[in-house]
Formats: sequence, structure tokens, C-alpha cells
Amino acid sequence: MSDLQFVGKRIQRKDGPAKVTGRAMYTGDLNLPGMLVGKILRSPYPHAQILNIDISRAAQVAGVKAIITAHDTLGIKHGFVETPRYPADQFPLAMDRVRFVGEEVAAVAATDPHTAEEALSLIQVDYAPLPAVFDPLEAMRPDAPEIHPSHPKVREPFQNIAGKTETSWGDVEKAFAESDLVIENRFESHLRTHGYLEPQVSVASFEPGGKLNVWTSSQGPFIKRAKLARTLGIPFSTVRVQKAYVGGAFGGKIDLFSHEYCAALLSMKTSRPVKICASREEIFAAYRHGQPLLVELKTGVKKDGTLLAQQFRVINNPGAYRGSGVVVIFLAWGFATLPYRLPNLKYEGYAVYTNNPVRAPQRGHGAPQMRFAVESQLDMIAEELGLDPIEIRLKNARRSGERLPNGDNVHNCGLTECISQSATHTEFLEKHKANRSAASANERYRRGIGMGVSAYFGGSLIYPNSSSVIIKMNDDGSLTMLTGAIDIGQGAETILSQIVAEELKVPVDEIQVIAADTETTPVDIGAWISGGAYVSGNATREAATQVRTKLLQIAANELEANPDDLVLEEKTVYVMGSPDRRLTYQELVSASVRKNRGDPITGEGHWRTMKDEPMHPSLATTKGRWSENYAFDAQIAEVEVDTETGVVRLIRAVTAHDCGFPINPMLVEGQVDGQVSMALGHAFMEEVLMEEGRTLNPNWLDYHMPCMHNIAQSEHIDVITESYEVGRPYRTKEVGEGLVSAILAAIANAVYNAIGVRLYSTPFTPEKILRALGKIK
Amino acid sequence: MHLPRFNLLRPRSFTEALEFLERHGADAQIVAGGTDILPRLKYGLLSPEFVISLKRLHADSPVLTSEGNLRLGSLMTLADVGSSQIIRQNAPLLAEAAEAVGSKQVRHMGTLGGNICLENRCLYYNQGHEFQFIEPCFKRKGDACYLFPKGKKCWAVFMGDTAPALISLGAELEIASHEKMTLETVEGFYTGDPVRPNALSRYEMIRDILIPMPVGLRGSAFVKLSPRGGLDFATLSIAVVLDMADDGVTCLTARITLGAVSPRPSRVPKAEEALAEQRLSSELFRSVSEIVQNEVNPVTHHGFSRAYLKKCLQSQTFDALTLAASRVEKRGT
Amino acid sequence: MKTLIELSVNGEKYELGIEPQLTLLEVLRDHLGLTGTKEGCGTGECGSCTVLADGKPILSCLALAADCEGVPITTIEGLAQGDSLTTVQQAFLDTGAVQCGFCTPGMVLSAAALLEEFPSPTDPQIKKAFEGNLCRCTGYNKIMEAIRQAACNCGQQNVQEKDK
Repeated sequence: MSDLQFVGKRIQRKDGPAKVTGRAMYTGDLNLPGMLVGKILRSPYPHAQILNIDISRAAQVAGVKAIITAHDTLGIKHGFVETPRYPADQFPLAMDRVRFVGEEVAAVAATDPHTAEEALSLIQVDYAPLPAVFDPLEAMRPDAPEIHPSHPKVREPFQNIAGKTETSWGDVEKAFAESDLVIENRFESHLRTHGYLEPQVSVASFEPGGKLNVWTSSQGPFIKRAKLARTLGIPFSTVRVQKAYVGGAFGGKIDLFSHEYCAALLSMKTSRPVKICASREEIFAAYRHGQPLLVELKTGVKKDGTLLAQQFRVINNPGAYRGSGVVVIFLAWGFATLPYRLPNLKYEGYAVYTNNPVRAPQRGHGAPQMRFAVESQLDMIAEELGLDPIEIRLKNARRSGERLPNGDNVHNCGLTECISQSATHTEFLEKHKANRSAASANERYRRGIGMGVSAYFGGSLIYPNSSSVIIKMNDDGSLTMLTGAIDIGQGAETILSQIVAEELKVPVDEIQVIAADTETTPVDIGAWISGGAYVSGNATREAATQVRTKLLQIAANELEANPDDLVLEEKTVYVMGSPDRRLTYQELVSASVRKNRGDPITGEGHWRTMKDEPMHPSLATTKGRWSENYAFDAQIAEVEVDTETGVVRLIRAVTAHDCGFPINPMLVEGQVDGQVSMALGHAFMEEVLMEEGRTLNPNWLDYHMPCMHNIAQSEHIDVITESYEVGRPYRTKEVGEGLVSAILAAIANAVYNAIGVRLYSTPFTPEKILRALGKIK
Repeated sequence: MHLPRFNLLRPRSFTEALEFLERHGADAQIVAGGTDILPRLKYGLLSPEFVISLKRLHADSPVLTSEGNLRLGSLMTLADVGSSQIIRQNAPLLAEAAEAVGSKQVRHMGTLGGNICLENRCLYYNQGHEFQFIEPCFKRKGDACYLFPKGKKCWAVFMGDTAPALISLGAELEIASHEKMTLETVEGFYTGDPVRPNALSRYEMIRDILIPMPVGLRGSAFVKLSPRGGLDFATLSIAVVLDMADDGVTCLTARITLGAVSPRPSRVPKAEEALAEQRLSSELFRSVSEIVQNEVNPVTHHGFSRAYLKKCLQSQTFDALTLAASRVEKRGT
Repeated sequence: MKTLIELSVNGEKYELGIEPQLTLLEVLRDHLGLTGTKEGCGTGECGSCTVLADGKPILSCLALAADCEGVPITTIEGLAQGDSLTTVQQAFLDTGAVQCGFCTPGMVLSAAALLEEFPSPTDPQIKKAFEGNLCRCTGYNKIMEAIRQAACNCGQQNVQEKDK
């Protein structure tokens, strides 16, 4: 490790200078000649039949260039999941029925926003309202209004089932019978949103020759191209989705959104560029949020704290279309069972259609909700059995080389180190005990400490499955990398450059990155399945390896040396032991062009997680491999509760994580801190308030995303379980999603430690705290 | 988001501004700092034909008058109110309240007059109503209330921070129209009707704010409870003024004004009476805070329940009284 | 009806005929091409549109462009001289205070204004100055670190300048 020059170093972001000077161009910053403004007409009803749409008056407004409704579309549905079991279920524009408030009904392109809005107001839509249902348990009842037919393969007498995941191993009933303690609880999470600062925005520019250029704020251009081409009924090759800087996403900008489709179709109709930018209110009230889960959890343990069996029933409320709702109930199984050995499991998860806006992945995609349930209950079990929170976790924590029931191997697993080191670092046990005995005292401010544990996969098989990278050498010995990876703030371009720099000994700032352009860059897994550092990273390393091999070959010829005796150093190659026998990369490129029939030295590399696994695992049964790469972490929260106002502050968060090895520790810390902040928002203050499908707080005044006053001291402990060696594949793990989960559970346990009352639902608002303390009825 | 189209009038003097009001008042909207009006214009809650911007008008510096008043121009920014030495010395409560408003940027833009004239707020009202809550509520000239579906009137709460402070300070407003100048107490300025929260007519504007200076010892505190401790409007706020006897421990008179729990900032006379002529102590503060809790029936707003607000009225009153008592010193001239 | 206005932005004078309802944000972005100033909400909550008016941070989404006549405006594009970054900008890079970058222009300008007002700000002063700048990526930790570092480096610079 010690001879690494670029990997493992706190190297500044490549895009940093552009961002601190305002030069970085985001999609909304694009201004093309003749560009029109697009606006979308949305349903005011949570559930209604569309009887008629009359655009005649709107079409007469001067400055209106095009109006589209479902009748202008091909009627091709799309969905986050599009499989035979879960076919697409959403039209880009509502066809004959709307199923949530805010559903897209029509779109207008006009010369300015005032004209576009005037046109929207003149579109006459006749609706026949239908009965609506918003709560998933109510929506499951056989007499509930039908939003979509229940899934044909789910044979229970439930209405509105969008999908079901069911799995088991061992024999839970037998294990419960053999348990010394069986405990059963119900945990509820609430509706939160991503809170990306940059609004959802797209620019589409259709060229008369038939080329559709699209810039859109996204988490990867390839899935956008696929879904746009398919829903618009045009060939892949005519759609080009290109990079612009992305101002945050957190899971909220993955699959196709109506505004992207509408911008494209409006541009095709008008042959002019069209920009559609969602207002913050639209994003809050009509776009996709995270997914609240209802978790019923029954656990059986032995006296010594050994987990024997767990039974889960998870109900998800994904809104009016499937979105990623059926993915969450699949992932939830994994997030529930990854960190601890569990010999017997029964799991069932339901996604239930309701007349709410559609839901999407949100950082952690079910993990925070599941860890909150499991870790809260684990602390309850420990207390019941007279164990401490650390020993019960250590007793059950997975260890290196363990096999998961689906066949995955956790490989090098640093979980026990994470638990022990974070506990020691915070003097956890001493504080935990002291707080508990003080919890009933009459002091206004009470402290609490709690631990949570989590694990997360790094890359799985969902389209696009793989990453590929091309590296070109330039005449001056610098490099250009072409990658489909997109930097959404996590630093993808920086870490990929660090890998190239390390493999080829070229300074990071001499590596040009051309990224995230479906036309010029190879495909990439996308910034949404926690596979960036591993999948895109190994593809990059492979490409760099090819370049290095070529460099060494040509250098060996030129220097009349054995390639094994050559050393790369600062854009030169020299013969080991004879540093004077040295050629610069510039000279080597020139030699290659001269002697290798014009080869300017390029390399390509590709990577796919689980190379022997043909398919992604079954969303219905969980059968099949999931990932070959698991990150583990333990997090500790220290909170202070004001028992007079019910306000809880996260004072300190300590994160011990096994992310394999950090390619850029500064970026890793940034990921950790951001997740701690998001989790404290989740825990204490953020909630999308809804009433019958309508959003009460569609703005940042009333949706309380943490501001700088709410900052928590965030400390990091790296548990390094992997290494990086030049020329070798590596197994680094994810760091962008798992750490939003354990800390939420840790906060929940810390609140209990402080006040002595267990809270079973998020968020832990001041009001709930005061009720728990018996200070309000 | 963009603003609707309007004609912009930019007077260069108060006189000219009042002339514009005289001419266009019925169809005009004054904008000073813009931090309350512009979002409402963008949401379509206002659609005036004319916008009268007061940005070209000079904000007078605060002065102590010979009558023993602190005189402030309504166009002072909240940041200037918060940092002004003369205000911090003579009416620290107001500076404290001004500093509690919104964010740094909002305080640099927003004016004291604008904060006094803040519109009442409600989750259902402060929205665009393009596809949500389309049917107008009472405040949007309709005949329904979303917050209380069986309600017969609007219950939007007044959430300004400086008004409770000004009321506790006994401040008055100089209200100017083209014809005349009238004096109105800040307390009397608010109507309690959320549809038209204050007494300002469409042809008037606030010129100056007058704060009477205390003759003896005084302690004051402004306490604001909010979800994030910054950026937010108040969940509830309390402005306390304790005028003290020369012994420094006996309260002569007290003024307690609450914000964000009703359609107007309101005093709590019973609590004030309980403090008058009393020696200050924690026990007294405890009983006074319970009086506030019992006397006041807060309006549920922004997702905060009545029970929660009631409990916080008690704890925040106690905090505010304790803080005010710890700050007793000679103020004014 | 268009209004003729004269704006002073980053030391340059611009004469513009604009519709009177345009905000400073719209004019900066759409008329002057200064797209470094961002719109995150348009209603004054997120601080992404922060610019300096006469050195003070304001929300350009809530300022009428016409009202900014005669007030020197500084946007993010007006800070760095060529390739040389300001101390604040450099500190944001050194500490890793930038992730997606959307809040960064507003953050950097708020920081510049803060250090002008308080060269060695306390943590409460920093929090008070930044309560109107939302960031979702960083949790604010490294932004706070950047401001502390910039304060330290600005201080050193001042000392050096005095020594000269």
C-alpha cells in the first residue's frame, strides 16, 4: 500500500475548480438558440377517469408551439422495473385515467413561461372522480377501490397488490419453539424525500435529420436513452443523452420521468429545443419520494443472545404505479438479514398500490427502514436478556468468508472490528450504562448513546449491468478517459482518474475525462446501485492495464530491455537499476505510432459484477446471487434530548466502516458526513406531510431539511479489509448508501437510552418525544 | 419560478410613493424587501397590476427623540436592526427578534416594516394551487377552510418575529397616507382576521416605528422555537419585557407577547398581572408559565398539534422569563 | 413594457432593456449568461441563488433586477481572477467541501461575506451566517471546516500583507 501515489490519497475533486467558480454547467444552465419552455399540466384528482381533453383554446394562444396529450403518444408504458413478472405500468402522459394528484396529463411548449402557463390554464380536462385510497393497509382490503388489478400471481384475497417478495430458509416455527425469548414488534417509517438541490430539469433538442439530443439531470444516461427510445418508438441510435453536471440525486433521478419524455416529444413536434424544469413545488408534490415501510418483525433468540429465527412482514406504499416499490420489498429482505447470522428466516413483503405519487429509490433504498426495525429490536432483546448492545451484536455479526443463504460470499468482512472499534472509541458501554441510570432523573437535558449496524451491496445486476472504459494516450503523454460513469457529486470522475493515475503514473490533472455521453462513451452501470468504485473502477483499471502493457512493450523494444525490468514513473518508463535508460510517454507514443502501424496507444476495459451469474436475482423469490461485494459498518449516535421541548439533537456520530479500502478518503468522509446529516433529518425533522394524496409542505420552509444549525460532529474510523495493488483486480466496497441506515438505528437506540421509552415509528419529532415522556397527552 | 407580469413603479421619495398609492392603491402592491411578497407573487397569491418598489427610498437611521422614543424607519433592513448599536443598547429585544428572522440573506433584504406587515401563513395557503388545493379557501376569497373543514373562518397564523417584540416594547407605528399621518399602537395594528391581518389600508404605508424608552431597570428576552433553530418561521415565539424596581429583583410591570400561535400576536394579560409587583423567582416563573399554558388556546398550525404547542408555551415562557430576569439592567436614557 | 436599467455586475456595467417583473436571478442567468448563480427553489429557502449586493449576501431569486440599479453585484463568476482562486474557494477544494456543487456558489459567496464581516468567526457566527444556505451532500461538516480554514488563511494573508 505504501508505494501508492494516487489511490488512497486525499486528492482534490477534478471538477472542484469548475464548481467553486461557477463554471460547471448543469442542465438548467443550457440555453440553446430558439429554445422553448415546456410546462406540464397535472391532475388535481387522486383518482379519476379522464372523459375528455380539449386543447383547442390553448392552441390558439400566440406563442404556443405545441401541445401534447396521451393521444400524441404511442401509448407505450414504462416502469422502473420492466420484467415479465412486473411489466411496465405507467404511461408517460395519463391515458384515460389519473391515479395520483400531480399525474401528468398534458404538456405545452411555448416561447416563454407566461404563455406556457396561460395555455395550461386553457386546457379543459373533464374528469369523473373515482374513489381513492391512500393507506396501504386500507388499499389491501378486498373492498378497496381498485387502482390496478392485483398481481395475478399473488393468490391472497388482497386488492391492489403491485408485487410480493417471499422467501424463507430453515424452519422458523421450530426455531421459535426452541427459543428462550420470542419478541414481536411493529415498526413504521415515514415519507421522506431526496432533497437534491438541483431541480429535475431536461433539455431536448431534436435535429431535423432525426437525432434527438437530450441533457437531463440524472444518475446515468444509458437507462434514460433506453427508456426514451422505447417510449418514443425511435431507434436507440437516434437518441443521444449527454453529460451535464448533476446537482445531487440520491436515488431520485434514475428512471424515466414524464418531463423528460415530454421535452423530447415536444422538441420532436416543434423541431426546436425544449427545456422543462420542474418547480420545487412540483418536485415535492408530484415527483417521487422515498418509500415508507411498515415492518412487522418477530425474533427468536437463545439466552446468550444468539439469533435463531426472524420472521418479517413488510408492507410498502409505493404510490399509484410500481416505481421501485417491488424492488424495495426485495431489497428489504437483504438489508434485514445481511449483518447477522440467521439460521431461520421467513420473509414476506408486499408492495401495495395507493393513490399517492409514485415512489423511487432513496439512498439506502429500504435499508434505513429495515435497520431501524432490526437494530431497535436487537437492543430490546439485549435489555431483556441482560446483555449489552455490543456483545449481542458481536455474537451474531458475520465474519469473513461466510456464505449467505442465497449463495453470496461476504469475503473479507470487517464488521466485528467496526463494532468493537467504534464502541471503544466512544466509551460506549460506560456511557450507555450511565445514561440508562440517569434516564429517569429529573434533569431537563438527557444524553443517550446507541449503536446501529448495517451492510450494503456494492453493485448488482440491473440494467445496465456492466461498465466499460476507453483510455487514449495523447501525443504529449497525457491521457483521455472515456467513461459512461456520471459524477453526481460523489466524485466518480475523481476516483476513476486516481485509478488511471496510479496504474499509469500520470498526474490526475493530466487525465481528461469525457463522461456520461451515450454517443461517445461506453456503457456504465450508473450512479445508482452502489457499484461505481467497484464496477466502473475495475473497468477503468483494466483499460489502464492495457495501456500500460502497450507502453511497456514499446518501451522494451526501444530500450532493448525485458518488460519485467521496466518501471513507470512520472510519465516516463525506465529500466530498473538504470534510471538513465528512460523514455518519456511522449516519446513512447511517437514510437508506437511509427512502429506499430499508427497505434497511438489506447486501452479498453470492462467489468461486470458476478461474471458467472447470468441473471439478476428473482424479485419474487430472492433466488439467485445478489452481489459479490458487501460493505459493513457500525455507527454510534450520541444524542441530547431537551425534555421540556422534546427537541433531540444528534451531538456526535461515529462511523466505523469497512468499505474495503478508500480510494479517496476525503470523498469517503464526505459520503459519510452527508449520510449522517440525511439520517438525522430522517430521524428528527423531515417528513413529507400528505393528506388524501395532496402534499401539505411542498417547499423547504415546511419540509425541514437540516440546515447548518443541525450539524452533527461526524467522526470516521476506517476498517481496511482490502488492498489495492497496481495491475490486479480489487474488491473495494460501497460507501454511499449503507451509512445512512445504521446511524438511523443508532439514533433510535440513543433516544431510548436517553429517555427510557422506545419509539416504534419515525420521525422522532419533539411532539412524539414529549408524548413518550408523558408530558403531553 | 417566475413572477407574473406587472407594471413597476419606483418612487424616489415617501411623498412620491404615497402619491402612487393614492393613484393605484386598489391595484397596487408595495414591495420593500420582497422576501414575503415575491414568493406570494410567484405562487399566484397576489396579482397586482402595479408593484410599487420602495428600494429607492432612503432608510432613515434610528434616533432617540427628545420625547424619549427610539424612532426607526420602517425601511431599515432586519440585519441593520439586529446590528444597530443604538437599537442594541436601547431596545435589545427588537434586535434579538430581528436576528431571529429567516436567514442571513432574508435579513439583509427584508425590512422591519415588511416584517410587521407579514401575511398570515398556513400550509394550505402558501402554495401554488396549480393542481393541489385548487378550490379557494377563505383566505383566497373562497368559502372553505382546509385546516378545519367544518370551520367558518380562516385560521392562518401570524408568524412574524419582530411584532411580538414591538408589542412587548409598547411600540407605535406612524402610518402615512397621501392625506394624513396617523399613530397606531403595534398591538392595535393587528386585526385578528387572518384574511386581512393588519389595519393598513391599500393607500397607506408604515413610515416610522416609535419605541418608548424605559425610565428604570428593564430585562427582556425573545425566545423562538423552531424545527431547525434557523431559517424557519416560528413554531411559537415569546417576547418578554420586565420593567423592574430599583432593587433589581422586583418586577413592576411585565409584558408578554406570543407569536405564531394565533391569527395575531397577542399578549397574555393574566400572566402579566401575575408578575406585576412580584419578586422574581423560579417558582414565580413556573406559575406564570403555567398561567400562559392554561390561558392561551393555540391554533394548530404547520403540523404542530395544540397539545404540543400548549406544552411548549409553558416551557418557552419559563425560558424567556428566566432569560429576561438574567438580563436586567438600565436601558434607555 | 420594458424598462431600461443599468446594472453593475462583477465590476462591469450593463445596460439592459428588461421586463420589470424579472428577478436579478433571471437577468444574471438568461440575459448576462452568468449561470453560476443557481435556482434551487425560487422562493428564498435554499440560498443557491445567493449573490452579494454591495458586499452583503442576498437572494437573487427574490430581488427585482430593476431594484438592483446602482448596487454593485458580485456573483460567483466575479471572485476568482483568472486561474487564481480566492482563499475561500481554495479552502472549499482543500477540505472537500464540494460535492454536487449546486449549493457551492451560494456557499462560497456567503463565506466571502461572512469573513468580510467577521475575519475570525466563531462557530455560532458561522452557523448564523449559513442558516439560509442548504446543502444536501456534505452534512455541512466540511463546509464548516472550509470556512474555518479560510478564516485562518485570510488572517495569515493579512499579516503577510502588513509585513510587506
